[in-house]
Amino acid sequence: MKKYITKYTGGLLSILAVVAMQSCDKNFASINVNPDASSAAVPQYVFTKAQYDGTANMLNFLIGTMQYTTSYNDVAGFGSKYVTSQINQTYPAFTTGYTNEINEIGIVIKTVTGDASKINLLAEAKIWQVYCFSRLTDLYGDIPYSVAALGYDSSLYKPGYDAQKDIYASMLSQLDVAAQSLDGTKATFGASDLIYSGATDKWKKLAYSLMLRLGMRMTKVDIAAAQTWVTKAIAGGVITQDADVAKIPYLSTGQTINKNPIANNLWNSDYIAQNGSSNTEGGKYQDVFISYLQSTGDPRLPVISIVYNGGVPDTTSTIQKGMPANINNVKPANFVTYSEPNPKTVLLLGSPRLVFTAAESYFLLTEAALRGWYSGATASALYQGGVQAALRQWSIIAGSAGTIPTAQINAYVANNALNTGGTFDQQMKQIYTQFWVSLFPDAQEVFANYRRTGYPALVPNNYPNNATGGKIFRRMLYPQTEQNLNAASYAAAVARQGADDLLTKIWWDK
Amino acid sequence: MLGAMLCMNWPGITIAGFGQEIAFAKSTAGQAHVNTPARKDTGNVDSSIPLKDAVNLLKKYYSIKVAYRQGLLDGKTIPSSILDDKTEDAELALKKILSNSALGYKKIGSNQFSLFEVTSQVTMKELVSGGTVAPAGTITGSVASTTDGALLQGVTVSLKGSSVGTQTDAKGNFKLNVPDDFKGRKTVLVFSFVGYAVKEVVVTEGQTDISVKLIESTTSLTDVVVTALGINKQKRSLGYSVTEVKGQEFTQARENNVANALSGKIAGVNAAGLSTGPGGSSRITIRGNGSLNGDNQPLYVVNGMPIDNTVPGGAPTVNGITTNVDRGDGIAGINPDDIESISVLKGGTAAALYGSRASNGVILITTKKGRIQKGVGVEYNSTATMENVAVIPDYQYEYGQGDGGVKPTTLLASQATGRRSWGSKIDGSTDYVGVDGLTHPYVAQKKNFQNYYQTGTTFTNSLAFTGGNEAVTYRFSAADLNSRGILPNTTYKRKTLNLSVNAKLSEKISIEALAQYNLEKGHNRTGAGDALGNPNWTPLEIANTADVRWLNPGYDSLGNEKIWNDAAIASNGYFVINKFIEDDTKNRFIGQASISYTLIKNLVFKATISRDFYGYNYTNVMPTGTLYTPLGEYAGIKSNVSETNGLVTGTWKTRLAKNIGFTVLGGVNGRKYENSQLTLTGSQYTIPYFYSFSNLANSITKPYTGKTVTNSIFGSADIDYKNILFLTVSGREDWFSTLSPKNNHIFYPSVGGSFILSDALKLPAIFDFAKIRASWAQVGGGAPDPYVINLTYSNVPSSGPALENITVNPVTNTNDISNANLRPFTSTTYEAGFEVQLLKNRLGFDVTYYNRKTTNDIVNTAISPTSGYNNVILNVGELRNKGIELLITGKPIRTRDFGWNISYNVANNESQVIKLAPGLTQIQIANSVGNWAYLNHIEGQPFGTIVGTRMQKDASGNIVFNATTGLPVVSPLQQLGNSVAPLTMGLTNEFRYKSFSFSFLLDGKFGNKVFSIFELYATRMGKLKTTLPGRENGLALTGVDQTGAKYSRTVAVANLRPYYDNYKTYSDLFLHDGSFVKLRQIIFSYNIPVSKIKMLPIQSASISFVARNLLTLYKKTDNFDPEQSFTNSNAQGFESIGLPRTRTYGLNLAVKF
Repeated sequence: MKKYITKYTGGLLSILAVVAMQSCDKNFASINVNPDASSAAVPQYVFTKAQYDGTANMLNFLIGTMQYTTSYNDVAGFGSKYVTSQINQTYPAFTTGYTNEINEIGIVIKTVTGDASKINLLAEAKIWQVYCFSRLTDLYGDIPYSVAALGYDSSLYKPGYDAQKDIYASMLSQLDVAAQSLDGTKATFGASDLIYSGATDKWKKLAYSLMLRLGMRMTKVDIAAAQTWVTKAIAGGVITQDADVAKIPYLSTGQTINKNPIANNLWNSDYIAQNGSSNTEGGKYQDVFISYLQSTGDPRLPVISIVYNGGVPDTTSTIQKGMPANINNVKPANFVTYSEPNPKTVLLLGSPRLVFTAAESYFLLTEAALRGWYSGATASALYQGGVQAALRQWSIIAGSAGTIPTAQINAYVANNALNTGGTFDQQMKQIYTQFWVSLFPDAQEVFANYRRTGYPALVPNNYPNNATGGKIFRRMLYPQTEQNLNAASYAAAVARQGADDLLTKIWWDK
Repeated sequence: MLGAMLCMNWPGITIAGFGQEIAFAKSTAGQAHVNTPARKDTGNVDSSIPLKDAVNLLKKYYSIKVAYRQGLLDGKTIPSSILDDKTEDAELALKKILSNSALGYKKIGSNQFSLFEVTSQVTMKELVSGGTVAPAGTITGSVASTTDGALLQGVTVSLKGSSVGTQTDAKGNFKLNVPDDFKGRKTVLVFSFVGYAVKEVVVTEGQTDISVKLIESTTSLTDVVVTALGINKQKRSLGYSVTEVKGQEFTQARENNVANALSGKIAGVNAAGLSTGPGGSSRITIRGNGSLNGDNQPLYVVNGMPIDNTVPGGAPTVNGITTNVDRGDGIAGINPDDIESISVLKGGTAAALYGSRASNGVILITTKKGRIQKGVGVEYNSTATMENVAVIPDYQYEYGQGDGGVKPTTLLASQATGRRSWGSKIDGSTDYVGVDGLTHPYVAQKKNFQNYYQTGTTFTNSLAFTGGNEAVTYRFSAADLNSRGILPNTTYKRKTLNLSVNAKLSEKISIEALAQYNLEKGHNRTGAGDALGNPNWTPLEIANTADVRWLNPGYDSLGNEKIWNDAAIASNGYFVINKFIEDDTKNRFIGQASISYTLIKNLVFKATISRDFYGYNYTNVMPTGTLYTPLGEYAGIKSNVSETNGLVTGTWKTRLAKNIGFTVLGGVNGRKYENSQLTLTGSQYTIPYFYSFSNLANSITKPYTGKTVTNSIFGSADIDYKNILFLTVSGREDWFSTLSPKNNHIFYPSVGGSFILSDALKLPAIFDFAKIRASWAQVGGGAPDPYVINLTYSNVPSSGPALENITVNPVTNTNDISNANLRPFTSTTYEAGFEVQLLKNRLGFDVTYYNRKTTNDIVNTAISPTSGYNNVILNVGELRNKGIELLITGKPIRTRDFGWNISYNVANNESQVIKLAPGLTQIQIANSVGNWAYLNHIEGQPFGTIVGTRMQKDASGNIVFNATTGLPVVSPLQQLGNSVAPLTMGLTNEFRYKSFSFSFLLDGKFGNKVFSIFELYATRMGKLKTTLPGRENGLALTGVDQTGAKYSRTVAVANLRPYYDNYKTYSDLFLHDGSFVKLRQIIFSYNIPVSKIKMLPIQSASISFVARNLLTLYKKTDNFDPEQSFTNSNAQGFESIGLPRTRTYGLNLAVKF
């Protein structure tokens, strides 16, 4: 049929074609260029974005699960109430992680790979990649890892899920390789590296610290591998000095992305009104947390907590009071009398977010010492070092508003020494209860250690119609979109790991 | 019979043959004249044929129309030899056959003539018997059209019972001398004119000046339709289906958005207005959705040139918040009063000349033009309408506000349960405290919808002036539309100025120009989708014993939002109405100019340039004091959008042979679309309550410049054989700037033909007209968006260090994978059909079958985010739509005083997604608020399948419970239904009795499903009757657990809310059949007899009662209107808490001076 038509119109078309043809796609190449975008990535800037995104990607409701905070309402109180209707709140870390930081680090790695002069850039990107992936796998278990974020480069639109066991093996070896490849004489990201401004010696410490964290994660499932990696990490050198703490600095004004993500989230979701009463989502500190701090005479209580007393923030320890988590969706009449985060410290938008602290290293080292994997110091001394570092760390976050006088630190340390006479389990309880208090507000890492060690010994909230039968989560649900868009991979992961359920234990939690 | 035989053979035989035909014909008619020697001797030379037959032959041969008074040609014959000499000029031929007949002719159009006696006096003398005839008096008058009041030139005016006659002059005036013998006799004048019904007027004695109005006869007008590029074609010649709707149908019962008015009118056109208030968009699809996620709406063309129909900033989404506003589409800016007619080109062949964007069909709007007439014609049209909420949800009014079976008796408890109807039995008790802090009787409040929404009003006034002379004609119109929505504080205003000028500069050169200026202002257009800032959630959610007005005005003394429920995100509707600010202004200019030049006879070149340009300014303020966002937010769009088209065509008409007419057209077309946009977003007003972009603590300004160019060359050829067989072929080549340079152009052809059976064959007398037609066409298309072939990187707004990531989609902010190999997609359509007119045109059928297939569709498909991206653009889709369209027209009653016309159209479109990407069996196009349901394209299924979950049941139908949670198990995602109605129909009835007319339109759609987010939330809030079980003694559940063992438990009254709340996880509970039949339109008109009002120079006037969407005669949804859509994107099938649908009624006044 085409032939037939061409025969009749061909003559006319060819005449017109002579006139028009040459100009028919003239300038198309330049017309189709986005004037507001560039064709090549600048790895430095993409890496900075990946640092912001990787740090910001967390499930904020876990702060309620770890019983630091709660809300009287179901929606916002999901973390502390686990109501079935809100289970889709467990999806976002997964959904945003891959399209933001995982994608971005992939671009950075692709850009700097193969250039010997950029070996530090590659190593730092790989270390950061491990940090980001580890946060995801610790929440969900098996996840796309080895073939993730290859949608553009390899047209892989339905990545398979890797077993967490394999992900851990890969991450640990990647840290090892990266740490060893760092070279102080070569170029770095410089100022684009928000954490260390390119200091390779510090990146090495971060790599080994992460190795310590991930190695210790395996104590329940593969104690031998745990020992191997923990030992290796300690030998490599971990973060123990305040100056080495991995942290991302933020600004108090300007774009949201430049603000401390935890502070900004708490601020916007609840405490922006600053009157203790009209909290947007009905949030307050939970009674479990505040009571514990009071019972131990913790000098951090006035640093982190306030009560609006006549409309004015009051840090007096004795009047601090946490809200119970079982309030069933009705705002309590005495709502204003409950404690909430201190705007000068916890809610400080311009405060740095701590990515890996000296305190965490010390507590993990304490456990290593208890297990006999480390003998460089006593468990007692390491524990004490952890508590001291944790108490100092609020001055890193909030400057003078967070500074606890040395005398108070010493007094608290003296009163809260490690019970070296206790059983291993008793000491573990003490370490990871202190860990809970010390890492606040990084609930996600506390949640991981809670699952591994069972501490702090939180009493779950058996709220009506909760999704877990009154138990604390063991993992997060895969986004429902995965069933829709990546069905086979999803099904394989569920078949391997167990039901896509909040109580299914992930590999290292078995 | 004679005519039919002549037609068949003429003019393909020699005149000798022709003569034999005549002889043969006569021989069958009667024996008397057969074989007379004289005839035999002189052979063909002296043979004669009736003049009437000769005129008929010319009509067919030259495709002309010839009008004459009935009986004028009777008894006249001409020598058949006159027909021997063929000329290319119809006028010459006509002149020749009339040369011996004492008849004259008048050319009244390019292909229309009327015949009359040359000297009526002489003729009369010959014919009128009995005595001498002398002039008895003179009747003068004028003749005009009822349609628009234009004075008609060339109307034949004759005296009934005589052969006295004359014609109207250029100013529509006539002067007729009446013979004496008519004195005392009843004098009747007969007016006849091509395209109009014959009219008889009784002239009373002494009356010397009369004015007459002729009614357009639709049967003859539809003979010529506007087709692609504004070319008029005989409808009989088309190989595809075209439907034309006259402008008048849009001006009486008007819709603000003229596209909405197409609903139910045309087979295969699925039109729907949105539930977004005045100034909202429309969604039209023709013969189904042709692309998986391209724009499936037709191309809008005004006077042959495309206009822009985009929605600034993109269409609202199903799950958006706050600024999720329908900002109105391009067609909304067209004033119905300026429309002469709308042609809908459904098929690919019809659209082939417009290129890629026409693959979804074309809606051709022809605007009114000036006319040659005496003086200035003035038209005034005024409409006032009111609208009200049409559907009130069927709520339960047994248990009132509260929770756990307890009603609130304190303010705090009332605020906690403001949107919960889980309280105690409604008993009229008096200790109930409302959210206003006052005690009220605990009684049902059934009028919340009526009290919350007001009566909307729309006033439209338009004034038009027309006029002109032989050289220049003009039409100028000004229109003002002022609409007030049913949501308080929502307004929409539109002003339209339109000027159309046509000028004939010389015999060879003529120009046309159109300029339209629009000013559209929307204020507080409502949001839809999620709760924050969507005022429509309040009447939906508010507890059934609370009066919604207790929430008014929604703010405290400082201006901050007042609490009315437990979730700050569910805004106080009155706060949104009173304090949120949405403003948009669109300044639009549409300009067209064309010049045509007749180089030599029948060779015409035409150059046209058109530009549709608008500047758009939008601000949306979430104010200080919003509970959920106390420091407020801001969103703004400033954009300049232009669609520019340049077109040059050449047309040559000739005859390839005596019987074969040939028209060839060739042209080039360049199209440039540019959107230069700034989006302004920010949060936290530094100075509270001061709403300026300059007063934001955080703000981002993002530029976007989108530019696409499409260049084309095209050609078409029309061939007809004896005006019986028609063939059209066309070809077009497009180059797209948005595609890979390796593969950026495509050639696509079309062919179509028609065959007039009734002229070619002897059909039974019952048939007046029969035609079969068929066509095949391809249309190629490029990617709609620029910059999708290369991955790029963009800076991210930062107050600190430099940040960069891949360039995100400017509308959805998602990571989209570009595709360097993107090539054109192809849409191929074939169609076949037939038309018949029966029983003296009293009954007509028009049937079409079509099959339309899109291959290599450019699909922006959602992919697993674990790929690092949200969407990928692929060239892979394959989609088919096939269906049948049927139009039945009838004129059961057709008398002088009473007429009844009926028209029924029905279409069934079956769509099927044939292929997606390799390894992909489904792609997601939308998700609801909370992901309660999805819209997917699934291989093997129709376009747009609603996907969601079900409550798990075992093989015996028992509900499966999770023994841990005590809740029914949620099934995996599964297909729930089709989002697009396959079956559409419309039924129009028009009745006319003397000066009254009444018409109504029924409109129905069937076979689709709607997922209701409204019902989902009404269930969660305890407002639906389905939440009543268990209110008194708890809800006993029985079923099985996941092991298959029997399971039962009782949900305590205190826990009923969380139990029912969890119903939201079962999508199927909120899925409904979306079928409906509506009484779409009623018009009751009275033509005021203005001829009796002598003082005013009124030509015509009518007043009408009009109503739109008056009644829903059939639906399956109890709580909402099945047409409750609020986005004109492809994401249909979700009801998502937009503005309720309304019924509209009012008055229309149309006057012509």
